[in-house]
Amino acid sequence: MATMKFMCDAERCIECNGCVTACKNANEVPWGIQRRRVVTIDDGEPTEVSISVACMHCDDAPCIAVCPTETLYQRDDGIVLHDKDLCIGCGYCLYACPFGAPQFPKLNAFGERGKMDKCTFCAGGPAETKEEEYEKYGANRIAEGKLPLCAEMCSTKALLAGDAQEVADIFRQRVVQRGHEDGAWSGNQRRERSRRQGASVDNLAYDATRQG
Amino acid sequence: MRLTKKSARPAGQGLGITRRQFLQRSGATTGGLAAAGFLGNSMMQRADAQEKTPVSDAAIETKRTICSHCSVGCGVYAEVQEGVWTGQEPAFDHPINRGAHCAKGASLREHGHSSRRLKYPMKLENGEWKRLSWEQAIEEVGDKVLELREKHGPDSVYWLGSAKFNNEQAYLLRKFAAMFGTNNTDHQARICHSTTVAGVANTWGYGAMTNSLNDLQNSRSILFIGSNPCEAHPIAMQHILLAKERSNAEIIVVDPRFTRTAAKATKYVRLRPGSDVAYVWGLLWHIFENGWEDKTYIEQRVYGMDKVRDEVAAFTPDVVESVTGVHEAEMYDVAKRLADNRPGCIVWCMGGTQHTTGNNNTRAYCILELALGNIGKSGGGANIFRGHDNVQGATDLGLMSHSLPGYYGLSEGAWQHWAKVWDVDYEWLKSRFDPTEYADGPPMYSNGITVSRWIDGVLEQDENIAQRTSLKGMFYWGHAVNSQTRGPEMKKAMNQLELMVIVDPYPTVAAVMHDRSDGVYLLPAATQFETTGSVTATNRALQWRDRVIEPQFESRPDHEIMYLLAKKLGFAEELFKHIQVNGNEPLIEDITREFNRGMWTVGYTGQSPERLKTHQQNWHTFSFRTMQAEGGPADKDYYGLPWPCWGNAEMNHPGTPLLYDTSKPVKEGGLTFRARFGVERDGISLLADGVYSEGSDLNDGYPEFTAEMLKQLGWWEELTSEEQAAAEGKNWKTDLSGGIQRVAIDHGCAPFGNAKARCEVWTFPDPIPKHREPLYTARRDLVEKFPTWDDFESFYRLPTLYRSIQENDVSDRYPITLTSGRLVEYEGGGEETRSMSWLAELQQEMFVEINPALANDLGIRNDDMVWLEGAEGGRVKIKAMVTPRVARDVVFMPFHFGGVFEGESLASHYPEGAQPYVLGEAANTATTYGYDSVTQMQETKVTLCRIEKASA
Amino acid sequence: MHTLTEFPRQLLRLSIMLLFTLALASVALAEEESGARGEGWTPQGEMATSVGPVTADTWRQVRDGQDFIDTRADSTYNLINQSGEYWRQFRDRWISPGGLIAIGGVLAIIVVFYLIVGKKTLDSPRTGRTMLRWTAVERAMHWTLASLFIILALTGLNLLYGKFVFRPLFGDGFWAPMISGTKLLHNYLGPLFGIMLILVLAKWLSINIPKKHDLTWFKQGGGIIGNAHPDAGFANAGEKGWYWLLATVGLLVVASGLVLDFPNFNQGRDTMQWANMVHAIGSLGLVAVALGHIYIGTLGTEGAFEAMKTGYVDETWAKQHHNLWYEEVKQQADTAPEDVPGDKGVEDGTAKAHRPN
Repeated sequence: MATMKFMCDAERCIECNGCVTACKNANEVPWGIQRRRVVTIDDGEPTEVSISVACMHCDDAPCIAVCPTETLYQRDDGIVLHDKDLCIGCGYCLYACPFGAPQFPKLNAFGERGKMDKCTFCAGGPAETKEEEYEKYGANRIAEGKLPLCAEMCSTKALLAGDAQEVADIFRQRVVQRGHEDGAWSGNQRRERSRRQGASVDNLAYDATRQG
Repeated sequence: MRLTKKSARPAGQGLGITRRQFLQRSGATTGGLAAAGFLGNSMMQRADAQEKTPVSDAAIETKRTICSHCSVGCGVYAEVQEGVWTGQEPAFDHPINRGAHCAKGASLREHGHSSRRLKYPMKLENGEWKRLSWEQAIEEVGDKVLELREKHGPDSVYWLGSAKFNNEQAYLLRKFAAMFGTNNTDHQARICHSTTVAGVANTWGYGAMTNSLNDLQNSRSILFIGSNPCEAHPIAMQHILLAKERSNAEIIVVDPRFTRTAAKATKYVRLRPGSDVAYVWGLLWHIFENGWEDKTYIEQRVYGMDKVRDEVAAFTPDVVESVTGVHEAEMYDVAKRLADNRPGCIVWCMGGTQHTTGNNNTRAYCILELALGNIGKSGGGANIFRGHDNVQGATDLGLMSHSLPGYYGLSEGAWQHWAKVWDVDYEWLKSRFDPTEYADGPPMYSNGITVSRWIDGVLEQDENIAQRTSLKGMFYWGHAVNSQTRGPEMKKAMNQLELMVIVDPYPTVAAVMHDRSDGVYLLPAATQFETTGSVTATNRALQWRDRVIEPQFESRPDHEIMYLLAKKLGFAEELFKHIQVNGNEPLIEDITREFNRGMWTVGYTGQSPERLKTHQQNWHTFSFRTMQAEGGPADKDYYGLPWPCWGNAEMNHPGTPLLYDTSKPVKEGGLTFRARFGVERDGISLLADGVYSEGSDLNDGYPEFTAEMLKQLGWWEELTSEEQAAAEGKNWKTDLSGGIQRVAIDHGCAPFGNAKARCEVWTFPDPIPKHREPLYTARRDLVEKFPTWDDFESFYRLPTLYRSIQENDVSDRYPITLTSGRLVEYEGGGEETRSMSWLAELQQEMFVEINPALANDLGIRNDDMVWLEGAEGGRVKIKAMVTPRVARDVVFMPFHFGGVFEGESLASHYPEGAQPYVLGEAANTATTYGYDSVTQMQETKVTLCRIEKASA
Repeated sequence: MHTLTEFPRQLLRLSIMLLFTLALASVALAEEESGARGEGWTPQGEMATSVGPVTADTWRQVRDGQDFIDTRADSTYNLINQSGEYWRQFRDRWISPGGLIAIGGVLAIIVVFYLIVGKKTLDSPRTGRTMLRWTAVERAMHWTLASLFIILALTGLNLLYGKFVFRPLFGDGFWAPMISGTKLLHNYLGPLFGIMLILVLAKWLSINIPKKHDLTWFKQGGGIIGNAHPDAGFANAGEKGWYWLLATVGLLVVASGLVLDFPNFNQGRDTMQWANMVHAIGSLGLVAVALGHIYIGTLGTEGAFEAMKTGYVDETWAKQHHNLWYEEVKQQADTAPEDVPGDKGVEDGTAKAHRPN
């Protein structure tokens, strides 16, 4: 059984927010809720790096563990879904989530947050009919044999989605192709440093490929 | 981009119609089968209960279209059910974007759902918007136009067209203006890449991107100067990052701002705004000093490099450092990277073009690439990323005040050529123009006022304008006025006009920024998803768009509106002589075929609608790396038949993927430099020396082909007798049979000749590009050494100031340099994108980027509200974003906002329900005077300002 | 990163991304430490290093939530919310089982105690003369507070443990409304409980001032140790202990509850995690102690429940459990015979109970 995962290649992410609006397009979540967001570290500095973040569909997901109502659950393929009928808006999943994925439409007195919403890996959620599913959770692209729209539409193919093994393979190939120690999660300063240190550190991945 | 505080719900929620109402409307206006099916469907009830797009089991029609935002030309699969745009799927098989989209592209479907549209024709009457019927609107507008024409002549009405038109509409509006009898027509290319087109075309023939985005994958170094593709052309980054990853290409970003692109670069250089020429000369100084130039290439293919050497010699490292702020070591480093990593290319955008010295900048960039021998090679080139989706096409199709379609210019010969294509009497055409002679010559042959200067066209005294009167009526046909400089004066100009007509899917800032209470008409135009036609991407490739949905609300496609107006104004018969009109809608394909018959200069002749549709249906057959079809119905064609696609469609030319690439036969997309500037200059030959394209029968330089030349070469007999009849006395540009081109190409020759590129443009104010200080500069010490030009008395019909502005030193009162640029979420003036909730949510506030040091000096903290005052007094109240992205003496503003003017919201001026989700101060309220000395390009990238903390 | 790796495997398994992060950053550290690359690197090792890391510093900043911006700007969010994991671990590994143990333990002790010792009856027969102990207002306040407490306790327990019991037992059709009702009750009644608690605490402050004899009371375990009844005033030391427990832990629970209940003041996620832990520990403790209070007030002591039910206690009961109070009342009665307690009705609630200390 495949295990579905997202992976954002920070070397490719240009913070265009295509994933954010692609998600809106697929799921039509209301104004104020963005299931996916792009985070930029060191904005405007030489070490600037961006990364697109949403629910990571964790194994042993913290949100599932802390949910008082079992709103959250994991499918066999690793996708973590939520059942809006069960959600009471307590906010615990938000406290526990490492990535700030769960969001609530409201933030009112008496803990009135409304029903939690989060990325579904474009796999919809529990509902009787297609209409209800779309209304509550958005698209179910997985059921149609498609991957999440955010990854499919990523401008530079930075955001990868799919079976963890395949995602890892693609990423590994990229790293090999880049042939630099800073092939993946780089900051430019680092690259400059390696350049100054000379060629000795430059072609390591090439060696790796030669030796199979 | 960093976002500041956000609102929890869209502004002005509750205005406008709900999506539910939209669905009812779209059902009602669709008419016929679709409507019946739709209304009878149970979808309707569900739609009542929800805001989301209804889920339906109805059959899905998949339409192929092209994103209407930037010029990258991303393919889109739009899924439509019963007339409603219910899905958008990535076009993985599209050769340019492979399904990828930026924020704008990924939200295209909202075009079919946003209710923030101009919904029906309206007019401003006693300060109130009043709804009109189309008949009434056309009648009233037409009467007023006729009255103005009668009273003040045809040049009193300005037809401001759009880069958002498809090719057919752009061509049609140019033809429309011609038949109305004026050259006062233009579009955004003027304020976008006009300096590129002028500078580059005058260097080697054509003023367009030489290679393609896909070809960037083959580059070994890419120099971005005044270009930020991460925000302006995000999908281009896919190709750029591939170059970086596959071949360790050097990505060098030279910009006053540390842009998002800089964050992905291998080298970033911070440049003082407006010092591009000095910077390039600084690079060339090191290149010449170290002998890194491509000597053979220069000898064979370049004219005038010696004169460049002389100029460059003055730009020693210390001078360069003083002017640009870049240290010698940095200059050397970049020059070496460029020299060591060939083929390399240069990419520039508005940062290079939107200057008073824009034409100098663009030529300097070209000269750099010529010196390195990078032009005409895969991986090399001058890769000019155009702005709007069809700004390349609209430029090619001549929607400009100084040319007819195909860059034929405005000479009598050009008019005769087009009169012949249009099959109208030349004398009749001439009679349509003002019979008086202007200072610049007869109106028909003299350049019209440009879009950048319409403000002065209205405000200037009649005696100073080289036409009968100032402008009295303006058509803003798909134009964001907030993308133009000098906001306060623009407002004054608008107040002074007799007639304002805004034809647009959105009301635009033009509808709200004036103080008028009458005489403004709004005509709702359909978007490009509501019509069909071809669009030219930045790489010169034409792509065909399907109609995705029917025009929303009461909007109508632009070409239909042109027909209605032409009918009212009395020249519909001539305008549509060979174009079928169904109901009120001219047949798009007939328009394509018509320009195919006349666009010989740039090779828009081989792209018949049939071929374009074949390409559109076979995206998957084209290579992502080379753009060439591998098998399939378009076998060997390059995607989109990038112009020049020589001869007529029957000739089956594959298009030219790389301009001036001599390694391929012309028949297969090869080319030489164009012989555009004569054959010799001061006794030196301008023709190529010993180089020619692969398989050429002429093994040296040669001039452009004419009937006479064919005869001398003994190739005349290869024309058919009909071709001979048509070609007699003509040349490759004017021979409507295409015979001359066909025969030249049969012999492996480029129809336009084989010449050298020139570094010296002797017809320009600065034959060799010179560094000149901006009109508003903080570096007064450089003004004496690098002064601007003297004032021009009449230039595109208007007096144009240089020295008299620069002389006036305002740098003590306005010490901070102001520049502007783009954000990824918005496009152009932003009226459309700010009306899309998915995008608007991401950028809710206008801001100015200020360096932390400057902010501390000014006592400003992040998120404070500040007043920014431009050097001519325009003020904007915006939020401060403190960031090291900009240098200490430079501040940056994005230019997509509008709807707030000098601190005052114009929200109440919008027609109800048509106000964008996000409003903000327009950056250009604070920008100042300054126009390029060749094209009247506006200066938006360097001016001066002052900033102070706003009290409240 | 080191602190992260020390964390149990759950964190390591969080996601592929985090794995990458960890691997990369630890490589970064390794390199940082060794300074340069040594000889004898295996190709696999080289592969790993070829994935050049964002510098360790950057990741440290990410963990601390510094120097980054977000398209979703309401920024109590971090890129990686490390504290969430601490919270989860603490809540699931310690608080949940701890609460069960505490409550279960107290229940067990009570049962055992009841079985062995049984109900504490009155030493002497009832006199039939009663004394006013709680006015109607006081009883009303007590019962309101008690009811709220019980509702909040039950709903709170349901939020913590309910999913293990009711969902499997009754299915979603029952569970969904039950749990959302639970949350509604808990969130809306919580603040009311807080108000009531403060009123009750204020009202009963004077009778709960600790006295010297209270110490003796504690030493004698309230009479369990030894045979003699320790001295006690109107409130015995046990009652005072309960009072002060509510005055401290109770208020803390209320305060932390309010932090959780009103997220609309933009308090950070970290604050709410802390509040949640305080709230959970405090309330579980109170529930456990409350069980003792309930036992003593009902099954455990003859006559105690009727005091809070009717407001009156028999003199025998008063003498046995609150001897100092009894004596004081008696004294007052002697000096003011016309005001003998219990002689006339005080059902209107206006009369004052006698509370000398």
